[in-house]
Amino acid sequence: MQAADVLTVLPELVLLAAACALVLMEAFVKTGGEGRVDRTAMVAVALTGLLASAGVALGLWGEERLSFSGMVVLDKWAVFFKVLFAVGAALTVLMSPGYLEAHQRHLGEYYALVLFAVIGMDLMAAARDFILLYVAIELMAISSYLLAAFFRYRVRSNEASLKYLVTGSFASAILLYGVSLVYGLTGGTGYESSGAVLASLGGVGAGANGTGVAFAMALVAIGLAFKVSAAPFHMWTPDAYQGAPTPIAAFFSVGPKAAAFSAIMAAFILAFPGTVGEWGVLFLVLSILTMLVGNVYALVQKNVKRMLAYSSIAHAGYLLTGIAAMGWSGNSYPGRGVMVYLVAYTFMNLGAFGVLAYLKAQMPDKFDYSLKYFAGLGRRSPLAAILLTVFLISLTGIPGTAGFIGKFYVFGGVVWAGLWWLAVIGVVLSVVSAYYYLRVVMYMFFREPEEEYSVRESISGGMACSLWVSAVATVAIGVVPSWLWDAVVGAFGTLFS
Amino acid sequence: MMLTLLTFLPLAGVALMLIFMRGRPSAYKTAALVTSVFEAALAIFLTIRFDTAQSGFQFVEKHVWIKSLGISYHLGVDGISLILILLTTLLTAIAILGTWNSITDRTLAFFVSLLVLETGMVGVFASLDMFLFYVFWEVQLVPMYFIIGLWGGPKRVYAAIKFFLYTFAGSVLMLVAMLAVVWWYAKHGGPVTFDILELQKAGFQGSLALWAFAAFFIAFAIKVPMFPVHTWLPDAHTEAPTAGSVILAGVLLKMGVYGMIRFCIGFFPEVAVKAIVPVMILSAIAVIYGAAMSLVQPDLKRLVAYSSVSHMGFVTAGLFAFNQQGIEGSVLQMVNHGVLTGALFLMVGYFYDRMHTRMIKDYGGLASPMPVAAGLFSLFVLGSLGLPGLNGFVGEFLIMVGVFQYAKVFAALVAVGIVLSAGYLLWMYQRTMFQKTPERWLSLKDLGAREIIAVAPLVILAVWIGIFPGPFLDLLHVPAQTIMAQVQPYLAEHGASLVGAFASFFGGF
Repeated sequence: MQAADVLTVLPELVLLAAACALVLMEAFVKTGGEGRVDRTAMVAVALTGLLASAGVALGLWGEERLSFSGMVVLDKWAVFFKVLFAVGAALTVLMSPGYLEAHQRHLGEYYALVLFAVIGMDLMAAARDFILLYVAIELMAISSYLLAAFFRYRVRSNEASLKYLVTGSFASAILLYGVSLVYGLTGGTGYESSGAVLASLGGVGAGANGTGVAFAMALVAIGLAFKVSAAPFHMWTPDAYQGAPTPIAAFFSVGPKAAAFSAIMAAFILAFPGTVGEWGVLFLVLSILTMLVGNVYALVQKNVKRMLAYSSIAHAGYLLTGIAAMGWSGNSYPGRGVMVYLVAYTFMNLGAFGVLAYLKAQMPDKFDYSLKYFAGLGRRSPLAAILLTVFLISLTGIPGTAGFIGKFYVFGGVVWAGLWWLAVIGVVLSVVSAYYYLRVVMYMFFREPEEEYSVRESISGGMACSLWVSAVATVAIGVVPSWLWDAVVGAFGTLFS
Repeated sequence: MMLTLLTFLPLAGVALMLIFMRGRPSAYKTAALVTSVFEAALAIFLTIRFDTAQSGFQFVEKHVWIKSLGISYHLGVDGISLILILLTTLLTAIAILGTWNSITDRTLAFFVSLLVLETGMVGVFASLDMFLFYVFWEVQLVPMYFIIGLWGGPKRVYAAIKFFLYTFAGSVLMLVAMLAVVWWYAKHGGPVTFDILELQKAGFQGSLALWAFAAFFIAFAIKVPMFPVHTWLPDAHTEAPTAGSVILAGVLLKMGVYGMIRFCIGFFPEVAVKAIVPVMILSAIAVIYGAAMSLVQPDLKRLVAYSSVSHMGFVTAGLFAFNQQGIEGSVLQMVNHGVLTGALFLMVGYFYDRMHTRMIKDYGGLASPMPVAAGLFSLFVLGSLGLPGLNGFVGEFLIMVGVFQYAKVFAALVAVGIVLSAGYLLWMYQRTMFQKTPERWLSLKDLGAREIIAVAPLVILAVWIGIFPGPFLDLLHVPAQTIMAQVQPYLAEHGASLVGAFASFFGGF
């Protein structure tokens, strides 16, 4: 390692310092006495770390470096995702204190784990080598397993974590198997170096080596498909999201998913250029299945948190159509739409889960996220109801919101690639999604509650900050999307330099 | 700047109401009314400044919005959009005044929704960019969803969801078609652009033109609504509160036909000509089916709702006749339908406010306690059934002339609808206004000054267009010629026989 290499991972080093500080702070907090321990300082440290990391990353916008023997890259692509992850995690951190206080589990390691997960995600996006990718995924995943089990005295939380752990390890093993095939075929694990060799070996039908390439590609794809919860590898998602603390479910649905998408795009464009048609078809099938499964299952959910979990599967399906179009056309143009969508999705989904977290914090005992508790929310807590409506409308894809812009760009790329029928499937299924999103709106505004229960306090503090930032971003991206597109074009440009 | 002002003035009113007037009903109601009246005045002012002899779009504004995709904030009006904007602004003001005291729950939200809806509607008619058009087109689903779902009748939730899903399903297909035509043009030598006027010059061909036409057409046919995708309409119109029904019937349906003019005909004139026969058949079915359904409705509002299906069938038939009379009659009939059906829904709303029932069997003999209301109601009923001297006649006559020139058989079929409409409207009028007055209705109060003022502009328009339609038709001459110029090259090759026309349409798929 040379001194110059430090710059490449400076955002992660900032996060690492903050995370270590958090662990130390927690160790020195007095417990067991009467009265609650004030952990505002820890929230502040976590936020400072995240924002500093985002700031450092932004400061590095425009730098081009390949460090640690070509394993980690610093370019606009990496910066783009690092900022996105940091912002998403910061919004998660902001919405957490009230929720954790309400459950009497407000501990410092929570924030440390979130930061560790972000380090893993950052490296997933910046990795240019399969080994580093694997290590980064594991760092992200192990932190996630622990976060899912954060309410360790609750059966559901344990179930969530265990399911996540078992399927996650399974996926990692499949990914590793694919990586070992790549190594066997090329003698290396770097994306570009092995990609060049793989391309020369050919794809399906090019003899034994060709079959090997196809196998390696499929195994890597399946391993990563687990991480983005693509059907049929999605089974862990609803249980993991439902059992995990709500802010963490919000975090899972945007952060690790976006990281996995960044890894898919980078790895498949760079390492499997020879089998571009094959992985295009593979992701095409996955995307159709995922959209179908996510939307159809979301349709029958009575529990809103679980519905959002399935809806996140559906959104993974829309995103995968962009990846499929990329492979189908052999051109990276549709991938830009995927990145726009990821940004839009981060804000709107965090916001939607955030409102759920707020409601749960207000009624920790009764509220179980089932639809009937949303009845009459428009009267009891108009602000929460209106915010949730904005996020749900955005998830539906109505113009004027980020969700529409995301769908517009993704399906724009899909149609551009000549896959107009895939776009038709996507938009028809988003009509289905309109039904289950609007059902929540309908309960909030058109139904009267069966029994009286009220929220204790209005939205305030970090939660208010988090929700307002998400809402403003959702609308702002919906109205003036050009800057986001320009950033995406910049980020994408460097992937092929 | 004029069109931007016109489009976003209602939103400015909304901002004022939300910031300064919460919890003061009289203040925000007045603000809503003043905003909508200003809006209508502005639309009239634009109409006076509009040059009817000039072809092309006027008051054009263009600013780059999303450069990479050639999307711009591009506004402009021709005679067709202007006359529909006039209708929109007028009906919104009337709807606000006419339902002043009907809404008692969450009143502020109701008036906010109406004004947001107005921005969406004006925006649709003023947009010259496809992306902008789509944004306005979809955005108004949300306020309308709430208007039906929050302040509607007993089955409002079902009606609201049905309305939303139906329209949304159509418009997302349209979105894919929009993307497809943009990329087609970009790959066939044109720039990447969402500009409607630019794309109208693209000359789309082949299977893309057919499929994209179909997608656009389905989206707009749902909105019109044409048979067989009309089933959302009776529920939505019946369950919506009075103001919602007025806007729905008066303006929202017209957006469908407007879209057909701009996109189906503007982008794909060749396919549109091939589609004449299927459209004529569907229109004739809608005219007769809607009228027949109206005959048997026990619910007053549902009757008016089905009559809309019938009347909009006239409009689509006239449009696809592709001659001067047909097109002008079609657009004028949209205005007439907006005026008359809007007025009918308003009158039904007045009755409902007093009697809290919409069932025809509960009515009867209202002419004696409410002579003024009965008189006004009779005017609108007669206008609707096409009595000469009132506006409905002018539009229907022009359409009949246009359709007759195209094919006599369709003119004959459409005429059946006129006969039926006389039947259901007069029978309805007889059962509600005449006959013996039930005891409980004897003490009903006649219309108040506010209610009469609200319908007065509609009375004036109904008589004005009925007697002297010239000024309105002047607006439509040039746009009608533009449409005809678009389809003219293809009309000549269009086969005269029905079978041949069918084959040429479906053979393309």
